[in-house]
Amino acid sequence: MIKRDTKALLTYFGFILPGLVIYLFIVAYPIFYSAWLSITDFNPNRGGAWNFVGFLQYRTMFADPYFWHALKNNMIVVAVSVFGQIPIGFALAYILFRRLVRAGSFYQSMVFFPHFLSTIVIGTMWKRLFQADGPVARLIQILSGDPSAQFDLMLRENTVMYPIGFALIWMYTGLYMIIFLANLQKIDTNMIEAAKIDGAAEGQIFFRVIVPLLSGTILVSMTLAIAGSLRGFDLIFSMTTQGLQRMNAEVLPIFMYRTAFQDYRNEMRFAYGAAISNIIVVISVALIVLSNYIGRKLRGGEEY
Amino acid sequence: MKKAAAILAVLLLLSAAVAFARGQGGETGAPTKVVVKTMAYGDQSNPEGVNWLRIVDYFEKDNPNIDIDFELLYDEAYHQKVVARLAAGEVPHLAYMGADARWGLPWQEAGQQWDHRPYLDPDYYDLSLIPEMGPNGEIWEIPLGTSNITTVLFMNENLTRSFGFSAPKTYGDMAAMAPKAKAQGLDVVSIDGADGWAWGSCLMSGVIARISGDPHWVSKAVEGQHKFTDRAFVDSLAFLETMVEDGVIYSKSVLVDYGANLSNYSNEKALFMVQGQWIAGSIENPDVANNTLMMAWPELPGEKPATAGSVAAAIQVGYGLTKAGGSDPAVRDAAFTFLQTFYSHEETTQRLRDGAIVAPILKHFKVPDDMPSLVKQKVVLAQSAMNTDVIDAFLSGAPNDALNAGMQKIVSGQATAREIAAEVESLLRK
Repeated sequence: MIKRDTKALLTYFGFILPGLVIYLFIVAYPIFYSAWLSITDFNPNRGGAWNFVGFLQYRTMFADPYFWHALKNNMIVVAVSVFGQIPIGFALAYILFRRLVRAGSFYQSMVFFPHFLSTIVIGTMWKRLFQADGPVARLIQILSGDPSAQFDLMLRENTVMYPIGFALIWMYTGLYMIIFLANLQKIDTNMIEAAKIDGAAEGQIFFRVIVPLLSGTILVSMTLAIAGSLRGFDLIFSMTTQGLQRMNAEVLPIFMYRTAFQDYRNEMRFAYGAAISNIIVVISVALIVLSNYIGRKLRGGEEY
Repeated sequence: MKKAAAILAVLLLLSAAVAFARGQGGETGAPTKVVVKTMAYGDQSNPEGVNWLRIVDYFEKDNPNIDIDFELLYDEAYHQKVVARLAAGEVPHLAYMGADARWGLPWQEAGQQWDHRPYLDPDYYDLSLIPEMGPNGEIWEIPLGTSNITTVLFMNENLTRSFGFSAPKTYGDMAAMAPKAKAQGLDVVSIDGADGWAWGSCLMSGVIARISGDPHWVSKAVEGQHKFTDRAFVDSLAFLETMVEDGVIYSKSVLVDYGANLSNYSNEKALFMVQGQWIAGSIENPDVANNTLMMAWPELPGEKPATAGSVAAAIQVGYGLTKAGGSDPAVRDAAFTFLQTFYSHEETTQRLRDGAIVAPILKHFKVPDDMPSLVKQKVVLAQSAMNTDVIDAFLSGAPNDALNAGMQKIVSGQATAREIAAEVESLLRK
């Protein structure tokens, strides 16, 4: 009996070992390395010498106004994702699921279409749309009758996240729509029929039947949205030009990049960059834990 | 048993054959390839990248014992990869690099700058045209050409004359063009103001030298001899406001990127364009290119005579060996063999024709007679105008970012010159 258990255990380890090794080297090692790096002054370009500096990088970061600016923008991106992409994606999926529009397949393809494009292509496209005398500016000029009118929201710190938020919704809503649609199709239609027989209106079916049934999917989507929002770099980077626009729209990953890869004056820039990365992970985990907690409270342990 | 013995015999025979073959290879001296790991600059769609691919292709055919193992990247991607490779210890043998704050600092920090002086053939390169780059006169890279002028004013001569104007002698002459140009829906000066660096490299670098009267004001300020809050710099920043108020530059410029700027000028939507000399070869409309006058900015209000007519210019970037490449004799020889081809008279002529460089650094170089007018003008400008500091050749990181974004704020009416000057000074001295 013991011999058989050992054999089973060895087989088990044989199966998980390759994955475990890859995970340890590719995922776990960089996390621990980054944590270590952030409490040192190590700069690989200056040889192997390093000193333990405690939480110096974190103190510097918390005193840096660029950090708070980037964090604020990141929170806006999270809000746009959680309260914009997910509800819109859910609503669109519901419309398609309940066949409330004709040519559902066409709309489904169109909404999901941005996912087939490279993020850099999408970012460049939006940049072109927003440039001086570009299509959006021309539209404003026609509507306002002012031939010199420009679309200048990207130039101002307090308005730059509107066009970026719009682009984010345009790009990612399709993903959530597909996730919700796939899960809606798994719902037992008898429950909806039963609700109808009981006299439930469309709104009541949605809020009293569909939403509770998909609460798990909503939570998973929120987790994806939060994690994606905090590590988001490519779309905002490619939508903005170097200088004022990018500074206005700077989020934590871009702040990390600018610090670690461009600020040659800062000898501890790699360690500082690692501290910023670690904070992104911490905030991400905290927000996901919070969303799960809220989700559990709202669901009240109800299972379907 | 017989089967096992047969297999063993076959294996032994194979091993012997392999060992024999190895011995034969060594005896016949089959050439081993020298690999030169290179970081090249360009992409598949610009002359730099296209020419690189073409040169490497024929060089490797002519030199089968040398392998130019390159990575071709452009713009932001290149700079990012340099930092990443150096940090990871994957140091190339040969790379596109410079000697200033933007193109040289990563190599300097990693201790990978290598002095080329002992290996530069004085009969091939005109060493008087290659500036000193290190504290002891070291040459860290072989520049593609002579100084890289960044503050060139390109004037569409025909278009300007059609408005009844001629080449401006003073800034006031340019301001006088604004009402007529605006009435026709044209810009006086087009600038890629959406790119923060353009304000610093292509405009402010020239303005600060003119207004301070010191060609090296920027480098001295970075060293601490001047402050960015000094009157000369604040006045220079305030000059941006003046340009917008006078209609010489429009506030919408901060939404125009590099490509749109070039397109505006090529499509005759502006009388002038401000950019670096390198853009000359990219003016695609031949009518405009052939009627373009390249000049230094005219006399600015408040400029000092000491720097009148000056242009900002940086040491031209080029290819250089790293310490990793220079310390290996085989790699070093292979790399210099390649560089001899890369910097050949034919390739340098092509670079001139493409508008990528101002003037060659080669000895006995004869500029062909059929060179475009813009190329000839560049040489004249380089020879006649005083060269001054380019800001981002000395200022980097957060202070430079703040300055670039700050100039865009000034032009779009979101900040004053004094506020931006104070922010830059504070970040620099942190």
